[in-house]
Amino acid sequence: MINISKVSNGILCVSLLAFISFVAYILFINQEVFYTAHDRSEFIFGAPFFHRLLSKPFGLIQYVGAWLTQLFYRPALGAGVLAAIWALIFYVGSKAFRLNGSAAAMMLLPVACLLTSVVDLGYWIYILTLRGYWFSQSVGYLAMLLLLWVARCTPRKWHIVWYIFGFVVYPVLGWFALLFILCLAVVEKITWREIVGIILLIFAALIWHRLFYSNLKFDDVVFAGLPRFVTPTDSSTHASIPFWVLGGISILISLCGRYLDKWIVPALCSVAGIIFVSSLMFKDKNYIDEMRMVRYAEDDNWKEVLNIATDAKKPTTTMVFLKNIALMNEGGLLDRSFKIGNIGADITNPDSLFVSLLSIASPLVYYNYGLMNEAIRLNFEMAEQKGFSPFYLKMFSRCALANGDEKLVERYTTLLHHHPFYANWKPAKVAKNVVDLQRAYSDELTGVENSDSYIVNTVSLWRDSDIKVASEQALFYSMLRCNSQCFWPSLRNYLKMHEGGDFPLHAQEAYILFVDRAPEEKRMMIPVEEEIYNRYKHFCDILSKQVKPGKTIGKVAEEMREEFGDTYWYYYFFGRQYSNTVNSKDSEIAS
Amino acid sequence: MFGVLLLLSSCVSHPDVPSASKDAKCQPDIFPDYCDVTVPCNIAPLNFMLLKDKFDECVARFTTADGKQQTYGDGVKVQIPEDEWHDMLDASKGKSIKVEVWGKKKGEWLSFKPFEIRVAKEPIDEYLSYRLIEPTYVAWSFMEIAQRNLTSFEETQIFNNEITMNDRAKGQCINCHSYQNYKTDNMLFHVRLSNGGTVIVNDGKVSRVNMKRDYTISGGVYPAWHPTAKLIAFSTNLTRQAFHTSNDNKIEVYDLASDMILYDVTTDSVTIVSNDPELLEVYPTWSPDGKYLYYCKSVPLPEEMRDKDIRTTYPKVQYNLYRRSFDLATHNFGDEELVYDAASSDKSVTLPRISPDGRYLLFAQGQYGCFHSRHRDADIVCIPMDKFSGSALTIEASSYVDLSSLNSKGESDSYPSWSSNGHWIMCASRRDDGNYSRVYFSYFNNGKVEKAFLMPQEDPEYNTFLLKSYNRPEFMVEPVKISVDEFSKVFDR
Repeated sequence: MINISKVSNGILCVSLLAFISFVAYILFINQEVFYTAHDRSEFIFGAPFFHRLLSKPFGLIQYVGAWLTQLFYRPALGAGVLAAIWALIFYVGSKAFRLNGSAAAMMLLPVACLLTSVVDLGYWIYILTLRGYWFSQSVGYLAMLLLLWVARCTPRKWHIVWYIFGFVVYPVLGWFALLFILCLAVVEKITWREIVGIILLIFAALIWHRLFYSNLKFDDVVFAGLPRFVTPTDSSTHASIPFWVLGGISILISLCGRYLDKWIVPALCSVAGIIFVSSLMFKDKNYIDEMRMVRYAEDDNWKEVLNIATDAKKPTTTMVFLKNIALMNEGGLLDRSFKIGNIGADITNPDSLFVSLLSIASPLVYYNYGLMNEAIRLNFEMAEQKGFSPFYLKMFSRCALANGDEKLVERYTTLLHHHPFYANWKPAKVAKNVVDLQRAYSDELTGVENSDSYIVNTVSLWRDSDIKVASEQALFYSMLRCNSQCFWPSLRNYLKMHEGGDFPLHAQEAYILFVDRAPEEKRMMIPVEEEIYNRYKHFCDILSKQVKPGKTIGKVAEEMREEFGDTYWYYYFFGRQYSNTVNSKDSEIAS
Repeated sequence: MFGVLLLLSSCVSHPDVPSASKDAKCQPDIFPDYCDVTVPCNIAPLNFMLLKDKFDECVARFTTADGKQQTYGDGVKVQIPEDEWHDMLDASKGKSIKVEVWGKKKGEWLSFKPFEIRVAKEPIDEYLSYRLIEPTYVAWSFMEIAQRNLTSFEETQIFNNEITMNDRAKGQCINCHSYQNYKTDNMLFHVRLSNGGTVIVNDGKVSRVNMKRDYTISGGVYPAWHPTAKLIAFSTNLTRQAFHTSNDNKIEVYDLASDMILYDVTTDSVTIVSNDPELLEVYPTWSPDGKYLYYCKSVPLPEEMRDKDIRTTYPKVQYNLYRRSFDLATHNFGDEELVYDAASSDKSVTLPRISPDGRYLLFAQGQYGCFHSRHRDADIVCIPMDKFSGSALTIEASSYVDLSSLNSKGESDSYPSWSSNGHWIMCASRRDDGNYSRVYFSYFNNGKVEKAFLMPQEDPEYNTFLLKSYNRPEFMVEPVKISVDEFSKVFDR
């Protein structure tokens, strides 16, 4: 008997230890995600934000959650607080559900659900409109368990009071109030009290909508607080799975928790939790690298941006743009850019969600190209929909500083100064390149221009600029457009502005290619390095050998990548994204 | 617990005046700037603060006309309980409240030169409504039309753009709330895109109408209720916006076409008032007696520009102010009269409003265009109507009333209006930071205008925390009594 008990306790300890280690590991590898969570999570100090959240059910918990999300500025601190809440959930849950011995391990499952909910978002992180999402579910669930614990400590005849209380706290706890009523009702044998509880549960949202929230849509009151992943154009069901499972498991534990004091339960729960988290967690190297690049770019740490870009095998479009800005600031854009790579890969995502440079880093990119009005506009469009988070407030401050709007800088920095980790934040001095590029941009009226090709086209038109950095950018982006009519004037202006300087490698490559491809065009004669010219001839030879009926462009690109992936020619034939003719990788090669 | 918290939060700090202080030899730099302003005798407390990064503490002593004194100060903020403030106003009606301010900086108190708050005998209309919206461009999410009690800090929602939205991809926009004679039994606002229509309240009854007819270019846009009849003049507009790539104004809003219509609420009929195909008519407003309809109309573009894209011609689109007489019995309009010729001075006039006594005309004036809330050069202009004798007034007429104490320097001042007693001018101004528009009031008496002051808030920092603009502020003498829920029901029908 003693031995069985010891084995049982041993299995419980080992299972807990394994699960805790797993949680710690998952939290550790998601540090960058948590930093981004704080950067994209809105918490505005003061009455307007507080009242806005409190005007909706579950708003108070969201407010608390939004405040706590600020702690993710130090990801370890935020993750630590989150883990502490989960530890409390484990403890309070085992008391509330009266889980004895090995049965207590059942509480690992709600924790696994909550852990999953913060690591399965993927690109939703950039477009999430749910305030305080990162902590609110954990805080709400803990509050629900505390209520359940207290309720179950009172005599059974008082339960009717608790059902009514659950109804009363619906504006605070939202769907957790309903879960509380349901859990309390199912742990006991059905009597008239439980029937009253269930009736209250069914009509809670309706009554509150009539009584108090009549200025809201009924949809927004029903199941208040239960995260729904919906935007005007996208929706996801997979990100809601952890919450439905959380609710289901809570009811299951209420129903049969007392029968689960078996030695095998901890091991099963631990394994189930690990499998659940692992299967739903969003895993993608580019996703994390992109976050790191944005973080470094925000701090103008272009060296680190370049380091990450250099290591990336198939960078996303956002990464390509940030890398090129880094090269503009660190030097070597026309010598290194195509070596590192300019072919932007699509993001990977488990659902139909479309997220692009626009949501990830567009204000940052426009700012660094001196396109200040566009940066401000996009910043507003994004912040207004997704929340005035630190990322956007910092960008607003920087744009205002670049425009010389001191009062506006003060407004945004004042808001940031209420953040626990931005108390002394000031926008960095506007870089010389940004100032210069701002001057390169003449005023005109445009429509709604949000695409990344707008940046490419706009910058490529700076071909008459008498600003050095603008002439370099114009040449580079005319090369990205694969447009010889843009290329020649840009090259002329670049050489004029960089008189006496070297003829950069990629510019030579483009020069050789355009001379070869469009000999009829009015061009200039410039000496190029023999080695580069010979390599181009070799490239053409290989390409002509690869072209066979039935062979796709994608296949040829794959085979030539190893040898020529670092050249402009490779981009021109296989990677062009911003020219008028778009090559499909699956289409057959035309001779 | 909650009660204790409430009790604590309602405690007012009446600090002692510093026993020793250094003379700052200047008035305090307070936000909002309430130094030497004239305020209505029923306005909410003028709470203010010293700048946080310059001071650690603030104490203010208020001395009313009857000699009573009270001190306030909590950190750098001065927040006065409503009842105490209204007692002060009552005691100083027609006179002044003296305000002495001390600021603590690095452990040392500075005493500033006192300033006065003059309390006018004339009250301000008790309510104000506005749309709260981010100063955004294309995208938006939540917006609301709200009403504020100006004698307190109470703000409630009139309508929001979520409750009736049935198509998320389309979104919903709400705008152009308007009232008949400052009262709310006859009012309207527009709902655009998803579940769109114009919500009209007619003697307290709510309905939704579609004003688009096959002979109009759009449904009703900018409205003006006739002061006595159930008639609403609207402009109909094909409005577009475009964005400056490198200009402080950032946004241009312009009309490709605009006409004017008259909507009869009783018969649900729409008649054309003017529809010149070459010119743009916009911003109708009635004279207080209902006998004239004032409106803005563009002047013809120079010949060489007529066929060009408006994106290149926009700086040359300028509006003058016109009026037409109106016969209420026949609903007929008389001939057009040019009231104010702005274009001859290379200016453009928008948003006219006649004072309730009919003696003064307010409008917003900038160099070009019809959307001055985005033009940094836009200012409010006031013209005495007795100067208009049938021949057009010109820019010289704008010097008869000095509005320099109302207008800001270098930031947009737009959307002027009169209080119902004609003693308070209100405008929406972006003067605080060039981006977020706020409501400013000025006292007006026989053509004299006092220094403008910002609409007071319970927490003076509220204006910093609120990331929304006050759009289309309109005075009301009573609140809108219909709830959001009741309004939303007309969308179910």
